[in-house]
Amino acid sequence: MAKSTTPYESDAAFEARLRRRIQKLILFSTAALIAILFGFPMYFMAVSAFKAEAEILSTPFNWLPQEFVGLYHFQGAFERAPIGQWYFNSVFIAAVQVAVGIFFGAMAGYGFAKFQFRGKKVLFALILSIMAVPFQILLIPLYVEIRHFGWHNTYAGLIVPGMLSAFAIFLMRQFAISIPDELLDSARIDGASEFRIFISIAMPLLAPASASLAIILFLASWNNFLWPLVVAQDRNLWTLPVGMTVFSQPYRGEPSIGPSMAVSTLATLPVALLFLFFQRYFIEGMMVSGIKG
Amino acid sequence: MISLYRRVWSEKNVIARRQYWGLIFVLPCVIFFAVFFLYPLVTGFYLSLTKYTLLRPPVFIGFDNYVNLFNDRLFLKAINVTLGFVVGSTAPTVVLSLFVALLFYQKFPGREGLKLIFFSPLLPSVAVVSVIWVVLLHPSGILTHIVRPLTGKAEITWVHDLTLSPIVIVLARIWSAMPFYMLIWLAGLTAIPQELRDAARVDGANRIQSFWSVELPLLRPTAVFVMAVSTISAFQGFALQFVISPNQGGPVDVNTTLGILIWKYGFQFFRMGDAAAISVFLFACIMIVTGSQIALGRSDRYSIN
Repeated sequence: MAKSTTPYESDAAFEARLRRRIQKLILFSTAALIAILFGFPMYFMAVSAFKAEAEILSTPFNWLPQEFVGLYHFQGAFERAPIGQWYFNSVFIAAVQVAVGIFFGAMAGYGFAKFQFRGKKVLFALILSIMAVPFQILLIPLYVEIRHFGWHNTYAGLIVPGMLSAFAIFLMRQFAISIPDELLDSARIDGASEFRIFISIAMPLLAPASASLAIILFLASWNNFLWPLVVAQDRNLWTLPVGMTVFSQPYRGEPSIGPSMAVSTLATLPVALLFLFFQRYFIEGMMVSGIKG
Repeated sequence: MISLYRRVWSEKNVIARRQYWGLIFVLPCVIFFAVFFLYPLVTGFYLSLTKYTLLRPPVFIGFDNYVNLFNDRLFLKAINVTLGFVVGSTAPTVVLSLFVALLFYQKFPGREGLKLIFFSPLLPSVAVVSVIWVVLLHPSGILTHIVRPLTGKAEITWVHDLTLSPIVIVLARIWSAMPFYMLIWLAGLTAIPQELRDAARVDGANRIQSFWSVELPLLRPTAVFVMAVSTISAFQGFALQFVISPNQGGPVDVNTTLGILIWKYGFQFFRMGDAAAISVFLFACIMIVTGSQIALGRSDRYSIN
């Protein structure tokens, strides 16, 4: 500041500086406007979870609750529906799908990257082509298949079809290619079995890729709506995304916006935490997978 | 004995035997995809040629389902609804997300914090997005209040209005999808070497000229990717319409996309054959988009292949 007001500054320099300032101000205010526009619904969700029911819809919008109701809506939500059970289901399904997806994804990716065998190219091309087929195409026949297995309305039906992903194999292969062959060979000379080499040499080297992959697979599972919607008929088997949509309807004549915002907040919380703590992996993961399209 | 040992464990043999391990490593996944991808993909096509209600075994009826579909008012309407949703959400999303990416590519104070707030729609699942928008779209809710100076109305039935409801669903979609595409644009912009911009500047181009003739052409692969991905995902529009619109796709089916129709035929009317035929049709539509993406440019670092 002191420097800029020195009498030595020419008018032209002052003008240029002023113009830059104004430019930055315009940039900042445009960006701020856009950020508020896009951030508002999320803020609305979080703050409404703590407002009295009547206040949520009252206009003009109160940025802070006039009457802070604490966890009232959360309690209300838990009383009306088995939220705890849905939360458990979502966590459980995601945990299994992430763990299995990473392990077998790494195994296949490693197999494709570090071994030569007959039919390898064709198999890999086929697995790549899986990624181009949207899930909705499989919805009907997969549901019919699951019914034949007797997995309709079971955890197996919810979990198994989404347990492995072609994308996981693709990602793991990209990372496994860079594992030095010398490292694997030296382990072979020491007499380690191939499976042992995979577990104790390849897997640790694939850990950074696994972190991104874990986030991708978690989000895909946590956000999945269509499949649990058709497979789980039993209310106790619903996942959060399926269950919470019943909250958008009034409950026994009572408006239930507060509870629905409370459940939405609960469902978004784990993702928000992931985002805060693993921002880099989170954003990279989203970009390479394109899951949020 | 020794010679036999040498023959079996000769180096060449060891390497050949080792390669079987590659097959063993990929086998679980291959079997999985045979059962949960290839098999349903093939049966899906077969089911589309049958009459099947889940109660009795499928009856082969040739291409009747397809013929019937093209006389089906609901299906023809769903094509229109889907195309409306695809065009209505993709075009603004692609253009606006590029604009926001260009904005956040500039340097200004508070940029990182504002970017983080802008990214917040990345967090909620599509179910949460829908539930939030149901509340925002309450007849006497916040959106009504915001547009009140323009309309003068105290109540607007957003989701029950035949014209307004597809529009507000597109709005919800744009809101939830934009940050993702902005990220992709931003990565594309960052990948352009600064020297090229400097060179253009030296040659006397102003910022706008430099954008049109240096950055935009270099962003072509990104543009192809963004357009293809957003088109493909909009073609599958389901959850927003399912939750936000009344009666899963209403009013009067103005929000019944092909995705919703598959669900309705499959899980409300139990007409699995018709539902499978719609799936095949949707697949063909999406393959056309994917094909044009491949034709338009493969040099894209974010493309799946």
